[in-house]
Amino acid sequence: MTEEISRRSIIKATGAVSIALVPFASSAPPAEAATPAEPQPHSHMMPASPQADAPGPTADDTKAQRPTYLFFNSEEAAFIEAAVARLIPSDSEWGGALEAGVPNYIDKQLAGAWGAGERLYRSGPWQPGTPSQGYQLPYTPAELFHTALAAINKSLARTPFADMSDAQQDDYLAGLEKGGTDLGGVPSEIFFAQLWQSTLEGFFSDPVYGGNRDMISWRMIGFPGAYASYYDLVDQHGIKLDRPPVSLAQDMHGHVHMDPNIPASSP
Amino acid sequence: MAETLKAVDAVTIGVGLTGSLAALELAQAGLKVVGLERGAARFTVPDFQSPTIHDELRFSIRKAMMQDNTKVAVTFRNSSDQTALPIRRWESFLPGQGLGGSFVHWNGQSFRAQVADFIYRTHHLERYGQKFLDSCGEDLTIQDWGVTYDELEPHFDRMEYLIGVSGKAGNINGQIQPGGNPFEAPRKREYPNPPMKETYFGAIFRKAAAGLGYHPYPQPSSNLSRPYTNPLGLKMQACVFCGFCERYACEHFAKGSPQTTILPVLLKNPNYELRTNCEVVRINLDSTGKKATGVTYFDAAGREFFQPADIVFITAFPLNNVRTLLLSGIGEPYDPKTGKGVVGRNYTYQTTGGPAVFLDENINVNAFMSSGAPGTMIDDFGGDNFDHSNLGFIGGQYVGSIMTGARPIEFHPTPPGTPKWGLEWKKAVARHYNHTILVQQHGTSQPSRLNYLDLDPTYKDAWGLPLLRMTFDFPENDIRMSQYIADKVVEIGRAMGGKVVVRGGTKRPYSTTFYQSTHNAGGAVMGDDPKTSVVNRYQQCWDVPNVFSLGASSFPQNITYNYSVTIGAITMFALDAIKNKYLKSPGPLVHA
Amino acid sequence: MMNSTPWLIAAIVAGSSLSAAVLAQSASDARPPDPKRGATIAAQGTPSGAPGCAQCHAFNGASDGSGAFPRIAGQSAHYLAKELHDFGSGVRNNAVMSPIARAMTPDDIADVAAYYASLHAPVLPLPPPEPALVKKGEQLARFGNDEKRIQACNNCHGAGGTGEPPTIPYLAGQYSNYIATELKMWQRGYRKNSPNQMAAVSKLLSDDDIAAVAAYYQQILGSGELANSQ
Repeated sequence: MTEEISRRSIIKATGAVSIALVPFASSAPPAEAATPAEPQPHSHMMPASPQADAPGPTADDTKAQRPTYLFFNSEEAAFIEAAVARLIPSDSEWGGALEAGVPNYIDKQLAGAWGAGERLYRSGPWQPGTPSQGYQLPYTPAELFHTALAAINKSLARTPFADMSDAQQDDYLAGLEKGGTDLGGVPSEIFFAQLWQSTLEGFFSDPVYGGNRDMISWRMIGFPGAYASYYDLVDQHGIKLDRPPVSLAQDMHGHVHMDPNIPASSP
Repeated sequence: MAETLKAVDAVTIGVGLTGSLAALELAQAGLKVVGLERGAARFTVPDFQSPTIHDELRFSIRKAMMQDNTKVAVTFRNSSDQTALPIRRWESFLPGQGLGGSFVHWNGQSFRAQVADFIYRTHHLERYGQKFLDSCGEDLTIQDWGVTYDELEPHFDRMEYLIGVSGKAGNINGQIQPGGNPFEAPRKREYPNPPMKETYFGAIFRKAAAGLGYHPYPQPSSNLSRPYTNPLGLKMQACVFCGFCERYACEHFAKGSPQTTILPVLLKNPNYELRTNCEVVRINLDSTGKKATGVTYFDAAGREFFQPADIVFITAFPLNNVRTLLLSGIGEPYDPKTGKGVVGRNYTYQTTGGPAVFLDENINVNAFMSSGAPGTMIDDFGGDNFDHSNLGFIGGQYVGSIMTGARPIEFHPTPPGTPKWGLEWKKAVARHYNHTILVQQHGTSQPSRLNYLDLDPTYKDAWGLPLLRMTFDFPENDIRMSQYIADKVVEIGRAMGGKVVVRGGTKRPYSTTFYQSTHNAGGAVMGDDPKTSVVNRYQQCWDVPNVFSLGASSFPQNITYNYSVTIGAITMFALDAIKNKYLKSPGPLVHA
Repeated sequence: MMNSTPWLIAAIVAGSSLSAAVLAQSASDARPPDPKRGATIAAQGTPSGAPGCAQCHAFNGASDGSGAFPRIAGQSAHYLAKELHDFGSGVRNNAVMSPIARAMTPDDIADVAAYYASLHAPVLPLPPPEPALVKKGEQLARFGNDEKRIQACNNCHGAGGTGEPPTIPYLAGQYSNYIATELKMWQRGYRKNSPNQMAAVSKLLSDDDIAAVAAYYQQILGSGELANSQ
């Protein structure tokens, strides 16, 4: 982007949307249940075709609120929001990580089981390994982020990341990526790699996790989403499938069908 | 103090493919069998249904169907002069957990091995000579299996018909069949089901490969091409190409797994008892050390039990088979310094990595419409299907366009030169996502005296037992092999219309940080010489004849292909001998 | 490489979600479907003698609720067109629909499919089915039955049975008699399209199972489940 736009105004206007992770069936407005329902016209979440998509930040984004952060404090959130906006920026055609709600995704992941170290072998002793040996730090993802962000925000106390220009922010992130900086015990390239991986996940994962708002990334690339029975289409080589993408729990009208009675699966 | 349970005839450590096969065979023969599975019970309904199953974050990224590393991990180093450190998160390989094991989340790629694979050393000596073999690498320890393809053929057939493999035969009784793989080992009859519908990426590859004179054929698939009833009377459905195959369970009853092909019958057999959430920590031996008396395990509540049994089947993930032997003191552990010992020796992996082919943006690849074993491949560079005389390596790879989906967290290719993040990255992803084909190279892994498994001296699991330690790097032979083939595959990529072809090929050092394959093999290899093998041709332990170690841990070296059907074949061969010979007269089935 | 059968060409419909799935081919291939012409055909029939669809399916596609004629309002245009082609070619056989389809041109088919796909029709008031039957149907529709090897219908037919365009039709709001009839037609081998999917599935279902899923899907639009939205 060439315009110098105040970070704060963008965050206020288009900040990550709070998505109810598990909408309950009982949350329907009572008026709808009282009369025989017509099939709902498609919601704003299900555009009829990519051409009908509002490119980039939509009108609804301006109404979007910042999420309720469970993990990040406001300083950390400010860095994350600004950083992901540079990692996957918005452009005239499509919104980016910020519009997609990636900070909300990362926040909820860090506040949950993964952040606490689910599926991470956590016994010591710890020592640095070779690149082939992968992650060898004692930090859980939650600890990693808190530690690194504290160091970053402390070192940038006079020129907060969120106040830098786009180019300065890009340079800063590239510096983290390159490595050589110790962020309170976390090598900066390890923090950057995890931040990037989490950003990718938040951008491309199913919206039930709080990112990929409005399935923006799936619309951008043409991935049809979770409902996927292609038996009669797989041999129609080269067709262009313009079906709007569908999330795990959504039907073709955009309604969500998460049911509290679905038995918890074993995995 | 462990509580001693009522004795049974046989116990299986793990209830995946081999555990289910062993239990079925013996329970049907009238034996009382207990299956001990570390993970939880799970079934197609309700556990594998939509919408929750098509969740890329949960299953592909967070690895919901895999072993829980917080309890048991593996330590790793490339070579003996390094310190092995824990693989703290699975990436390179993904051992499964839960009822059905890895055979629930596998891709369904269903090949037979080659004739030459089972007489690997003999074959290569005859064709190329000792001097050539030495030149490929003095550390290589290739060996024969002690069983031949001809002996296994009826069991390959049984395995294919059990899980309903869908494919086109290439060689029936020596007659080459059009449309199949002309390099295929000879089979007695066709596959039980016809090949899958051809995907677009498969068609593009096929035309390019055929145009260059290669012999493309449809990949044999255990995601079925049509509804099928297997010999046990279990009905399976036709795959719908949902694109969520590997790392996921099938919601449609369309993928071969213990749940779809064995368990409904096994679980109804009154001779069989399944116990889930049970961690087996060792096989107990008598005072001679030559006879197993049963196994010790902990249940989910942490209570310790001793399960006496006449026969113990080690039927876990191959790495865990080897670990069980080491923890139980069965067989002499391998010592790389002296070269003595066998348990942990000849550990191998899989040599993988092919090119990315970026096509014109008018071509809609639609790889999200896919199955686990789709597409088209060639075997012209597999195994010893080509003359290696002047090439300086042995082994080979299959090559094919066999994309299993286009799930975006895992798949968002950009051509070389694209920045790794930022606006240009994002634009490149949008530009290329649906117009890029991945071609796979997948092949042999030669055994080396430098690569092995043993117990880690430092790191422990949640029960306080040493983790398995893996010392492995790709032998130089395998690097040369994959690089040679990579050059050939680039030509195919260009013939496919690739505007940019990013060359594949494997490099050293082997890294555990990105996915390559879950075909870990060896460590408890089979053979006819107890000095170089842990089990005989029936996968029976030389040292403790009432213990059978079933699975890919028995492979002396890894074959070109995905190995599940071969595991099924050698296991069915072993179970046949157990049923017909061992039960009548327990003891060593082979005298060395 | 590309299949150029005309009926695959996009049924582009404005303003409808269900039928918005589009299989686009190059502009030079064929004319875009004309839903207005489709409406005329629905009302008056075609010059070649096909009667107006509305006579049985109603002008708004809700049919008459008896289940003798399926509800087609808002159905995937691609699916509607395919079924008409299958009736015409004999792959699907029906004493009423087959001669009608044979009298229609590919353009007629594309146009009526586009027209009906664009519609939102009200749910007709129908006698409520037995709650136990609906509950049993819901179990099969949303979860399946492991013992019988039946997967959840919604795996393919979408959350709430609202379909997975372009190829998989909605079941939500479809009339129970029609659903039951078609399942039995597949079971007995009379309906020959979808031999590898629906024919196989139908053979796993008992008469009770069929009655249950049919009852469940007919009532789902008015039941509140689909009325709720995020």
